[in-house]
Amino acid sequence: MKALAELYVQQFKTTLASMFQYRASLLIWMIGQVLEPLVYLIVWSIVSNNSGGSVGDYTTREFAAYFIVMMVVNQVTYTWIMYEFEYRIREGILSFALLKPIHPIHSDIADNVSSKLITLPIMILIAAGLAVAFHTSVSPTPWAVALFIPALLLAFLVRFLLEWTLAQAAFWTTRVSAINQTYFVVMLFLSGQFTPLTLLPHPIQVAAAILPFRWMIGFPVELLLGRLTLTEALTGLAAQAVWLIIGFVLVRIVWRAGLRIYSAVGA
Amino acid sequence: MNFLRLFGVFFRVNVMGELAYRVNFFWQLFQSILSLGMSLAGIAVIFSYTDTLGGWRPDEVLVLVGVYLLVGGIIGLVIQPGMERLIESVRDGTLDFTLTKPEDTQLIVSIQRIEIWQFIDIVLGLAVLATALIRLGENVGGWQAAAFVLMLLAGAVIIYSFFLILATLSFWFVRVENILAIFQSMYEAGRWPISLYPGWLRYGLTFVIPVAFATTVPAEALTGRLNWGTLLGAAMLAVVLFTVSRAFWLVGLRHYSGTSA
Amino acid sequence: MTLPAVHIRDLRKTYVVSQQEAGAMAALQGLLHRRKAEVPAVDGISFDLAPGEIVGFLGPNGAGKTTTLKMLSGLLYPTAGEVTVLGYVPWKRAKSFLRQITLVMGQRNQLVWDIPALHSFDLNRVIYHIPAEDYRRMVGELTELLELEPLLHKPVRNLSLGERMKCEIAVALLHRPSVVFLDEPTIGLDVTMQRRIRAFIAEYNRRFGATVLLTSHYMADVEALCRRVVIIHHGRLLFDGDLSVLVQKFTSHKTIVVQLGDCQADLRTYGEVVSCADGRFTLRVPKAETAHITERLLADLPVIDLLVEDPPIEEVIERVFAQESP
Repeated sequence: MKALAELYVQQFKTTLASMFQYRASLLIWMIGQVLEPLVYLIVWSIVSNNSGGSVGDYTTREFAAYFIVMMVVNQVTYTWIMYEFEYRIREGILSFALLKPIHPIHSDIADNVSSKLITLPIMILIAAGLAVAFHTSVSPTPWAVALFIPALLLAFLVRFLLEWTLAQAAFWTTRVSAINQTYFVVMLFLSGQFTPLTLLPHPIQVAAAILPFRWMIGFPVELLLGRLTLTEALTGLAAQAVWLIIGFVLVRIVWRAGLRIYSAVGA
Repeated sequence: MNFLRLFGVFFRVNVMGELAYRVNFFWQLFQSILSLGMSLAGIAVIFSYTDTLGGWRPDEVLVLVGVYLLVGGIIGLVIQPGMERLIESVRDGTLDFTLTKPEDTQLIVSIQRIEIWQFIDIVLGLAVLATALIRLGENVGGWQAAAFVLMLLAGAVIIYSFFLILATLSFWFVRVENILAIFQSMYEAGRWPISLYPGWLRYGLTFVIPVAFATTVPAEALTGRLNWGTLLGAAMLAVVLFTVSRAFWLVGLRHYSGTSA
Repeated sequence: MTLPAVHIRDLRKTYVVSQQEAGAMAALQGLLHRRKAEVPAVDGISFDLAPGEIVGFLGPNGAGKTTTLKMLSGLLYPTAGEVTVLGYVPWKRAKSFLRQITLVMGQRNQLVWDIPALHSFDLNRVIYHIPAEDYRRMVGELTELLELEPLLHKPVRNLSLGERMKCEIAVALLHRPSVVFLDEPTIGLDVTMQRRIRAFIAEYNRRFGATVLLTSHYMADVEALCRRVVIIHHGRLLFDGDLSVLVQKFTSHKTIVVQLGDCQADLRTYGEVVSCADGRFTLRVPKAETAHITERLLADLPVIDLLVEDPPIEEVIERVFAQESP
């Protein structure tokens, strides 16, 4: 346990140093992260204003709040492991990770969390600025806030584990970009990034509830916005827990299978 | 004439070999259709709640989608690959080889790479455009068509010059490998009419990262919204930016030859 | 008197580099204020190459070899001094100049990675405006000389390092340049391949009368190809002349290799024992005493074989470098 803690601290320093080097790329990435929800925010605001001030159960202001919170939650749960993994395998540097006496997922989590320690404060500032610009705010109940923390944490873990599993597709194919793109397109709609799930056709909402996407991103957003009853919130947390377990299992299975392939071909 | 010969050989070199990989064709087709599907699904949802979006009717937004695909394809076909390769070659020193060739270096680096499967996006884009125009039922007059072609050309030149300026920055800042990504993220905003966005964003997407000239302006031309001001502005900007980018490129080259190790 | 193919007079190149120190504090400071230092990579060198000469250009890493080569091929602007190649000022990069030179860099490829080498050949054919008939003939000759036949249609990334290097050299010479700059062309290649490439360069020089300036770390390259060597260190020339003169001038010792039955004997009285393996002793003796010591060895010991050699040129060169204090 102590060794793991040391690893995380060490990884934090390493990540910090390399982020400093790549600050330009980081900036560009963050612009993209802000722009996407912002575009949807604007589009839906226009639709809302055009439809008498609201669409479904969202007023214009509520749309703004939704996308701003979405932006932050997305940032918290975001991973880039799928590209990273494909790169490692392609360049043959995965071998280095395999030689170390710990599971590579740890340094990946550490790296992910470390970068967010830097980017998240900036994101929150931007979110605050946007909230002012679009005249919107959130006022959740205390219990919603209390449940938001674990919901966010679970969302991050579920998303990380599942995307880490997906990343290992790189062991089997070089067409990772096609897989990634499919994943992101499906996620765009089913996680609530394009529009609140309640505005999508019912079959989609059902699919969203069964698949993990809503639990990765949409659910914490809805929770913080005070749109869920206590029952719905607790059910949601349970769903997240289920997906967490599924995630753990998948990571183990696929990693072991992937390693067998990798070592057979020659690292 | 010389340019044609050069383009011909780069085309042969890049494309002929790649055509053997039919499997890549299907994957690119898959990804393009997926992307188009995503656009269409999004539009369907939006227009299930409203009749117009900032004054744009559904089929007019479809025109925009077509332009988005078409221009995206042109950029992905020849503009972006060359500039990406240029940035790489500055970093790994293979630009030196290009510099010892007896042809204009800017010309070579601009046409050196062709990602042939991007033509699928171009074809899809044209197909979507055609569909949208038919659905609109309007007759696309000669003027509109001409304006469209002119704005497309201006847009392509503006985007090319912009990419060249970004790539030239790599002469000074070696670690800007994904500086071109800044355009990619911004280009996403081009899926929707730029007129929707608040002033500051509209300004940014027009004059800072010229996405507007790639997507909205040609779409405006085709849907009869283009005014003379924009038309002339775009044309002039294309000329100016082309000149400026060439000048900046030459400055960058001088710097590279003065201080590279 | 014929005009030199390459003319260099008091050539200088100084780089300005920013200093970076380790540590977080220094990194932050570095954001605001960078300290700059001037580094003279080439510090006033002069030499000429006659048309058709093959000259070796030697020096340790960082000596200024590659910088000089880049100034000769027009890739770098000199800070000061004169340089002309075939009468042209290289950095002006006149098209007619570029058509007559070529640069081969051992560490980098100009061949396009994913396609067969022949396609890259075709690219150069168009870029250099090589007439079809000349192109065909040149490809034929190069294929024959370098044994390229099985390689030309494979994608370059599927070739081994040696095969790739052969194709690199071929594509660089398609337009029959009269001045050839080779920057470590045999680096990383196995011994057989190195020999082949050396033989090829010699043949190319013989057939086409090209002027060749070759930098290398491998003494074998230089010994095989160049009568004249130019040695550069810390940006200055240390030696410019015949290789044999170099050896004579800078060696005070010779090497005697004596084959005995085993390594038991103590030969320290004869000279410095450098090594012994399976009875094969390597001794280092002062040059003047070589004959005398050889006599004594033959008289005193059951010598199976004896060989007198100049010290390896590496040693000579190291000695040359050591003399020049930074």
